[in-house]
Amino acid sequence: MSSVSHVFKKGLAGLLPWLLPILILSGWEHSARLGWLSSRILPEPLAVLHAAWGLAESGELWAHVQVSAARAFIGFAIGGGLGLVLGLLTGTFRAAEIGLDTTLQMIRNIPPLALIPLVILWFGIDETAKLFLISFGVFFALYVNTFHGIRSVDPALIEMGRSYGLSGWALYREIILPGALASILVGVRYAFGFMWVILIVAETISAQAGIGYMTMNAREFLQTDVVLVGILLYALLGKLADSAARLLERRWLKWNSAYSAT
Amino acid sequence: MQMDQVEIGRVAAAHPREGLTVEVRGLVKRFGERNVLHGLDLDIEAGQFVAIVGRSGCGKSTLLRQLAGLDALSEGTIRLDGEDLTALGGEVRMMFQDSRLLPWRTVIQNVTLGLSGKRAELQAKAEQALAEVGLADRADEWPSRLSGGQRQRVALARALIHRPRLLLLDEPLGALDALTRIEMQRLIERVWRQHGFTAVLVTHDVSEAVALADRILLVEDGRITLDEAVTLPRPREHGEAPLAAIERRVLKRLMTVEALNQRNQLRGRVREILVGPVMSEIRVDTPAGCVSAAISTRSLQARSLELGADVLAAFKSTEVLLATVD
Repeated sequence: MSSVSHVFKKGLAGLLPWLLPILILSGWEHSARLGWLSSRILPEPLAVLHAAWGLAESGELWAHVQVSAARAFIGFAIGGGLGLVLGLLTGTFRAAEIGLDTTLQMIRNIPPLALIPLVILWFGIDETAKLFLISFGVFFALYVNTFHGIRSVDPALIEMGRSYGLSGWALYREIILPGALASILVGVRYAFGFMWVILIVAETISAQAGIGYMTMNAREFLQTDVVLVGILLYALLGKLADSAARLLERRWLKWNSAYSAT
Repeated sequence: MQMDQVEIGRVAAAHPREGLTVEVRGLVKRFGERNVLHGLDLDIEAGQFVAIVGRSGCGKSTLLRQLAGLDALSEGTIRLDGEDLTALGGEVRMMFQDSRLLPWRTVIQNVTLGLSGKRAELQAKAEQALAEVGLADRADEWPSRLSGGQRQRVALARALIHRPRLLLLDEPLGALDALTRIEMQRLIERVWRQHGFTAVLVTHDVSEAVALADRILLVEDGRITLDEAVTLPRPREHGEAPLAAIERRVLKRLMTVEALNQRNQLRGRVREILVGPVMSEIRVDTPAGCVSAAISTRSLQARSLELGADVLAAFKSTEVLLATVD
């Protein structure tokens, strides 16, 4: 008897956080059905679900998601990779810092979206322009955090490593890189978040495929349900990327009790 | 005790003269304008256990870091086994005040740090080193799961696996509680006797120095001001009378040397002694005027200071110390 009520209580406690979203959704659904809310402004949730189902069934949805995800990750790979390499360089070598850091810090203060007119002039409205914008936006998140990570490795540990005969690459592999990893992963998470923001803007400017194209197209035909599907897709992809970054943290930083699962 | 001597003889025969000799001549270390070591000379025999004591900031850790080759010398020479110290030779290992284990490596990976060779061989060696410090069963844990004493044991195993001929210990037990500290002292003494390396221990704990060392050096203001041999048999029990006697002697010397420091001092004569229940005040006439020093009433009674006695007043940053002049 008591165990049953215990299970019941536990189930209830698990449901509580979902109470508010359910209330909002049902309120929304009802106000749409009763005609208080025009479907041009906000379609009812069920219609959104329906639209998503239709798009998924026709295969159109997957094609768009694929194009968008590919853009995001290629841009991330280019910008993030460059940020990582340059961050390691300036973090490790004083000469590289003197030569590069001031310039990079100046460029960092330019909001990537302010470059849009210039980017369109340079690359047209092609794929290259979108990749450039994403790379540019992602670059600094990784650059700054990698630089900071390398610089904040405990010098006592580096001294210990040297006194135990480590130098060059061995010292880097054993002490400097693992010491900087937590900070680098913060950069990765931040970059993942920023990556979607830039992607959305870039795809809204002009595109022949992708989630942004899908939503802009739907807007022209007043298909608010499809627009909402697009918005929700962005949220979902962003969440997925963040979860992936967390997974990396948990795997690579498991020595650190702040990240270990148990 | 008889058994012990036999044991020492056996171990010594098995490892003939494994330690390095240390020869320091005219060692000067400057940080900017400030001289930390002023022309220090020091000879250490192979296999000797030397403890360096002194107040913080006296230069004892700096001396140790010089021996380890961690900092460049400003002047002078350091010769190990007759050869000039080349930075970070494989025969010298150091244990630090904090264990400096890599948090992202397991215990056993920390122990094999800096070693190269076949994995299975390294593993076996590391397990042996861990067994020697009594941590064989913790090999695969993260260092963050260990207590402070256990971390220092791992650090000791990490040093021992290199079979060092000179082991430098920079206050490795300073942060441990009293019981763990005594345990660690025994462990360090045991491995020292087994391996026969030369050991230099920096500590601010005089009783630790007396318990472990063949020889106690007192460093004050960048110079060696006392060189006391400790010839008591091992293992030594804390609290034994002869140990306490040596400890008292070193401590007394530490206090006197401190007061007799060449700088910041004035000769004077006791003018007034104001005895309070806990603290007493002593007023001293000096050429620069009247100086007042606070001293606990208890230690005042132990010293029997008289009015009109000649004293030295030494000025520290926060207090005035008095020393009697014979």
